[in-house]
Amino acid sequence: MNTLKKIYYNKFVRQFIFIAALLAIWQIVAASGRYSELILPDLVSIWDALVESVSTGELWEHTSYSFYLIGTALGIGCLLAFVLTALSMLSPLVADFMKTITTVFHPLPGVALLPIALLWFGIGKESVIFILVHSIIWPLILNTYTGFRSVSRTQLEVGRNLGLRGLNLVSSVMIPSAFPYILTGFQIAWSNAWRSLVAAEMIFGASGGKGGLGWLIYQKRFFLETPAVFAALFVIIFIGIFVENFIFAQVEKFTVHRWGMVVRRS
Amino acid sequence: MMQEIVKVQDLSVNFTGEHGNVQALDDINFSVREGEFLTVLGPSGCGKSTLIRTIAGFQKPVEGQIELKGKKVLNPGPDRIMVFQEFDQLFPWRTVSGNLKYALKVSGIEAEKRNEIVDKYLELVNLKRFARAFPHQLSGGMKQRAAIARSLALEPEILLMDEPFGSLDAQTRTILQSELVRIWEKLGTTIIFITHNIQEAILLGDRVLVMSTNPGKIKDIVPVEITRPRLPETPEFMGLWHKLYSMLEVKRFGENGK
Repeated sequence: MNTLKKIYYNKFVRQFIFIAALLAIWQIVAASGRYSELILPDLVSIWDALVESVSTGELWEHTSYSFYLIGTALGIGCLLAFVLTALSMLSPLVADFMKTITTVFHPLPGVALLPIALLWFGIGKESVIFILVHSIIWPLILNTYTGFRSVSRTQLEVGRNLGLRGLNLVSSVMIPSAFPYILTGFQIAWSNAWRSLVAAEMIFGASGGKGGLGWLIYQKRFFLETPAVFAALFVIIFIGIFVENFIFAQVEKFTVHRWGMVVRRS
Repeated sequence: MMQEIVKVQDLSVNFTGEHGNVQALDDINFSVREGEFLTVLGPSGCGKSTLIRTIAGFQKPVEGQIELKGKKVLNPGPDRIMVFQEFDQLFPWRTVSGNLKYALKVSGIEAEKRNEIVDKYLELVNLKRFARAFPHQLSGGMKQRAAIARSLALEPEILLMDEPFGSLDAQTRTILQSELVRIWEKLGTTIIFITHNIQEAILLGDRVLVMSTNPGKIKDIVPVEITRPRLPETPEFMGLWHKLYSMLEVKRFGENGK
């Protein structure tokens, strides 16, 4: 009885049961034959489409292109965010300016910039990267700046007491001390970017014969390969869960949790 | 007569706070002898923290100067290590021994020698078992021990302690007071120790520097001629306690005219 109760209250067991139940309902409805396979394919054909997509290398190709886009955007975004934050730390005037434009642009969803991106950069990966950079830098700047401002005065003075100055003080005391905030900013930046990416890819499609996961879904719908559309959706969900609940969770476990530096998410 | 290690001359420091620029210290003159344990006693707001922070180099004097072994103090430096009251003075992303090792690294101690020094000082403060713990896993008292070990490991010319036991419970405080005396007797480090607790000032110090407030001035420097270990119950301890107490009281009710 006690073990059963333990299993019943285990978070993962529960989540597994929920997902299994949802999939079972799906399969029952789809197999009933009430809906066309073009509208609601059953799990078996989705699985087959997934296997085929993997075996032809198609899935890998599109996934890696998506990662290439998001990776480039994260690189540019981080660089920009850190430069702008550093400038804000140096001058209160720049800080006020940054605070203002962050407040203005942070609430603007990346996808809303699609028409502007089209006008400015045309159809191509530049437009996608522009939108991704937009969805990355504002949360990153906001959190990094808050992090730097919340560095303990005592720890800064301990650093100065040891003889650390300037950039040494920044890299040895300020960045590790602000790390929980920087990590949170990075997590928000990633999840914003991942969501914008799929949407943007559908609009901009492929350039030079290359496209990401969003483009894959769009193409499959065009050819009415509904099982492949669902297969790609599952892959997007899986990658999202993997990065947010596994990769970031591991980074947290070995840094902020280990150091007892957890901050509440804003 | 032992050599003078710190010399404070005609020191005047302003404090910039919410109410603008306030004179925090005025006409401060004293010196500390090598190996001496000097306690600085004063009510809150008398500028005793400003005094120790100026010696550490975190604040600049308006007038006068501070000399350490004949050299004028201009900036913070590892020859004057500060122990703070705050429990977050250890770097939380490093273990206890990591905190000591990092401090040694910054002050230029070669990598091969660091481990041995870390062991020695953690042993001294009875924290060897917790060498691999992270600061958030330690109690307040243990954090202060670790901070003291880190400071001593750098072998500074003088240890500056700004109410390091101020946030501890009474029992832990008593234990750490007697341990600090034991460590000081063993190492012979020169110490300036800030406190607003009369008993603590007498228990620890060779001399007690008593301050008055608005602006902070030296009221008197009182030698403590009680043999160690000092017990608060003895008549000579109680006599000195009342003497210091009345010095603080005169300021509170006399000078303010209340």
